[in-house]
Amino acid sequence: MAAIPREKPTRSGEARAEFARYKSDVKTRGKPFFPYAMFHDTIMSLVVVATIIGLAAIWKWSSWGPHHDPTHKGLLGPIVDPPADPGTTSFVPRPDWYFYFLFYLLRIFKWPESVFLGTIGIPTIALVLLIALPFYDRRLERRPSARPVAMVAAVLTIISMGVLTWKGATAKEALASEVIQDVPRWIQQENLPPAAVPGAKLFATAGCTACHTYAGSGGSNLGAPDLTSIGTRNLGIQFQINHLKCPSCVNPGSPMPKFASLGETRLHQLAVFLESSKGTH
Amino acid sequence: MATPRRQPTKAQIRHQKMEELVIYPIDWLEERSGLVGGIRYFLFRNVPSDVNWMQTLGSAALTAFLVQAITGVILAMYYVPSASTDPATGKPVAWESIVNISDHLTLGWLVRGMHKWGASVFIILMFLHMGRVFLFGAYKYPRELNWIIGVLILLTGMLEGFTGYLLPWDQTAYWATVVGINLNGTAPILGPWLAQFLRSGQEIGLETLPRFYSLHMLILPGAIIALITLHLYLVVRLGVTSPPWSKDAAGGEPVEVEEPARRPGLTRPVPRTANGAAMQAEPGGRD
Amino acid sequence: MEPEQPSPDTEHESLHEEAHLPSPTLWPIGFAIGIVVVLVGLIIDPLLISTIGAVIAIVFGFLWARDATRELRVQQVVVEPERREAGAAAPPAEGGAAPVSGPQQPVTRSVFLEGATIGLGAVIGGLITVPVAGFLVLPGFLRQEQHKVDLGPIEKFPLGSWFVATFVVDPAQGEVSRRTAFVRNNGTVADSNGKQVPSFTIISNRCAHLGCPVQANGPSGAILGKKTLKEHTLNGPVQFVPVVPAGYGCPCHGGQYDVEGNRTAGPPVRALDRYGFEVNNGRLVLLSTYSVSHVVGTGAQAKIYKYKSYGPGQHVDGPEAWFYPLSPPHH
Repeated sequence: MAAIPREKPTRSGEARAEFARYKSDVKTRGKPFFPYAMFHDTIMSLVVVATIIGLAAIWKWSSWGPHHDPTHKGLLGPIVDPPADPGTTSFVPRPDWYFYFLFYLLRIFKWPESVFLGTIGIPTIALVLLIALPFYDRRLERRPSARPVAMVAAVLTIISMGVLTWKGATAKEALASEVIQDVPRWIQQENLPPAAVPGAKLFATAGCTACHTYAGSGGSNLGAPDLTSIGTRNLGIQFQINHLKCPSCVNPGSPMPKFASLGETRLHQLAVFLESSKGTH
Repeated sequence: MATPRRQPTKAQIRHQKMEELVIYPIDWLEERSGLVGGIRYFLFRNVPSDVNWMQTLGSAALTAFLVQAITGVILAMYYVPSASTDPATGKPVAWESIVNISDHLTLGWLVRGMHKWGASVFIILMFLHMGRVFLFGAYKYPRELNWIIGVLILLTGMLEGFTGYLLPWDQTAYWATVVGINLNGTAPILGPWLAQFLRSGQEIGLETLPRFYSLHMLILPGAIIALITLHLYLVVRLGVTSPPWSKDAAGGEPVEVEEPARRPGLTRPVPRTANGAAMQAEPGGRD
Repeated sequence: MEPEQPSPDTEHESLHEEAHLPSPTLWPIGFAIGIVVVLVGLIIDPLLISTIGAVIAIVFGFLWARDATRELRVQQVVVEPERREAGAAAPPAEGGAAPVSGPQQPVTRSVFLEGATIGLGAVIGGLITVPVAGFLVLPGFLRQEQHKVDLGPIEKFPLGSWFVATFVVDPAQGEVSRRTAFVRNNGTVADSNGKQVPSFTIISNRCAHLGCPVQANGPSGAILGKKTLKEHTLNGPVQFVPVVPAGYGCPCHGGQYDVEGNRTAGPPVRALDRYGFEVNNGRLVLLSTYSVSHVVGTGAQAKIYKYKSYGPGQHVDGPEAWFYPLSPPHH
C-alpha cells in the first residue's frame, strides 16, 4: 500500500478522524476532571495566591524605611513614588517590567527614519504572527520532537524577548540626574585631588557621560572614547580647554558638540579634572 | 436476587435521610434551572488520563485574574480617580488616596500589594500558558479559535496593565503613560487621532485619568470576562489535549483496547489497554 | 349572566343581543395622569403645569374615546391571530398592514412587521449609540483653547542666560498642566519692518521622540552657585533655575539635542518644539507650542523652520511626513 505522507495537511479527512479518535479515547480511557485534574489545578492556584500574597507582604515590609517613610526604596521598590510632576527635568521614565522588551526595542531603533518600526511596526507584525499561527502552521503533527521549525522559532523568540527584557531593565541613560550620584565613587576610585572635584561635578552634569564612559559610569555613543585614564596621556590643561571649546577644530570629523558656552572658569575646572584622571586603582 | 436483604440499620436509615436532605435542594434547583446538570457535566467530564502539571497554568492564570478582579473591586471603594490638586496638601487627590490605602487603612497595604503584584503574576502566567499550548501544539485543529481568543485575552490583559499603571498618578505612572500614548500616536494616519482620543485632549489633562479608570475598571474587564467565558466554553467543548509525547496520547495511533466492563456514570474506567502499564500508577486511585 | 370581559367571539355575536362592555384599554391611565397633573399644577404653577396636565388629559381622553367607540364605528372587530392558511377572516382594523385580499395577506403583514422591528430596533440603537459615542469621542477634540502664560517682566531675563522655567499653563486645570521650558533672552532682532523687537529662545522640554522630559546637559542651580528664582505671575508661581546647557538629552531612549533644539543623536524625529511668545506691557507671555524641523544659526539670528504643532514621534518633513496627513484639532 502506498505510504500516505502524514505531513501533508488534509484537514478534512485526517484531522477530523484524529479528533474523533481523541474524543472516543477520552471517553473510554479518560478520567473525570473532578477530582483528578482539578486537584492539580487547586494546588497550583494555591501556589499562585500564596505567591501574590507573599510578594505583597515583602513589598510592604522591605519598604518599611526609617520613620515608616513610604518612599524608602526596599527590595521590591518603594511603596509610594513621588506624585506626578509634568514639569520635571530630573526623572527617568520607565514602563512596567513586562513592557521592557518594547521599551528596549525603542532604544534599538535610534535612527529617526526607523522610529515607527520600533513603536508600532514590529509589535504589530509580532501580534499578527501570533494570532495567525494556527493558519500558517497547518501540520497535524503535535510532538515537539517532530516540529523542528516551531521549536527553533519558539526558542529564538523566548531568548530574544528575555534578552530585550533584561537589557531594558538595565538600560541607563547617564544624564545629569543619575550620574551626579557617582561622583563620590569617582573621587575615591580615581584618587582625585580636591582641585579636581568641581570639574568632576561638571563632568557629571554637563552631559559628557551621555557619550563617554568614565570609571564604570556613562554610556558609549557615537564611538566616544572611555575617559577613565585620559590623564595618563598628559595632553595638558590648555589642550583640554581648546578641545572642549571646539572639538572638531582640534580633531577634524569629531561629532562632539562645542562646550565653549560653559565659560573659561568651568572649562578650566573640567580640564583639571580630566588631567587628574589617571585611572582607577 | 437470591441473597436475602438485611434490614437496614438505624445508622443506615439516618445516613439515607441525611443524603436526601442534601439532595433535595439540589434537585429543587435542577428542576427549575437545569444548572446542576451543567455543573455536573463540567466537573465529571473526562479528561485524558495523562494530563500534565504544565496544563494547570491556564487555571492558574484564571485564579490570578480572579484575585485581580476581587482586589480591584475593593480598591475601587477607596480610590479617587481625580488628577486635581488637594488644596490642603498641594498633592494630587488620586495619589493621596493611594497613600491613604497603603499607609492608613487597615490591610490596605495587603490588598493594594496583591493587586499590583497580581498583575505581574497574571501576565507571567498568561505567557507561560501560551508557551505550554504552543509546545503541545494545542492550537491546531480544532482549537484554532481558542488560540485566537487566548491571544486576545493576553492583549487585553496587557492593556489592563497599561491603563492600571496610570492610576496611582505618581511619576512612574504619568511618564510611562505619556510615552505609551505617544507610541500609539506614531501609527500612520490614525495614530494622532487615537492618541488624542485616549488623552481626551492634545496633552494629558484632568480628563485623562477618569478615562483610563473607566477603561481599566469597566470596558477592559468586561471584555476579558467575555473572552474568558468563551475560552472556557471552548476548552470544555473541545477537550483538553494529552501531552503530545505521551505514549498513551488520546487521539494517537489507534490502540488495541478491550472495552472495560464498568457501569456507566461517574466511576473512573478500569485501565485495561495493551500497553496499560503506563496507566496503572494513578495517584491515590481506587480501582 | 354574561361574563364581565366578553371574549372577542362572544362580543361579536352578542353585539346586538345585550349591552356589551367596552374592550380593555389603557388610555384612561394617561387621562387620569393628566387630571392629576392639572390638580397638582393648580397648587404649584397653574400657568405651566396645569396647562401641561390639560394637554395630557385632552390627548389621552381623545384616544380613550376613540378606542371606546371603535366598536360602534367599525362593525367587525375580529382580532384573530395571523394564520398562514387561506380564507382567513376580515383583516384586522389596526396594525397598519397593507390591505391585501386573498391568501397572500399573512405573508405581507409578517414581512412588514419583521422589517419594522429590525428597522425600529436599528433606529433605537442609533438613538442611543450616536449621542453616547459622540460624547465619548468629541470632547477630546473640540474647543481646544490656547492658554497664555505670563512669565514676568523681560528685565528679569539677563541677556544670554539660560533658565529652566517651570510654570502652570492653565490655572483652572492646576498642576496637571505644569510645563517646563528652556528660556534664553537673545536681546533684540530686526523684524520685517526693520523695527527692533525682543527675541527669546523658548524650547519645550518634551522630547520629540515620545514625549519624555528632556534634561539640560549642563550644570544648574547649586553647582553653578546660583539660586533658583521664584516669581509670582498672573499664572501663579513660576520657577526659574539658572542653567548652562551644552545641549539637551532625553533620559528615555538616548535622544540628544544641541542648544538650539536640533537633534544631534538618537531617535528624535525632529527638533524640540518651541513656544511662540509675545511681549505685552514689557512682560514675556508664552503662546502655544509649534513644531520645528530644524534650526539654522543661533540666538537672535536663528532661522527656525516652523510647522504647526505635531505630536511626538511624528515627522514634519521628509517622506515620512506623509504618514500624518491629517492632524487632530489643536490650539
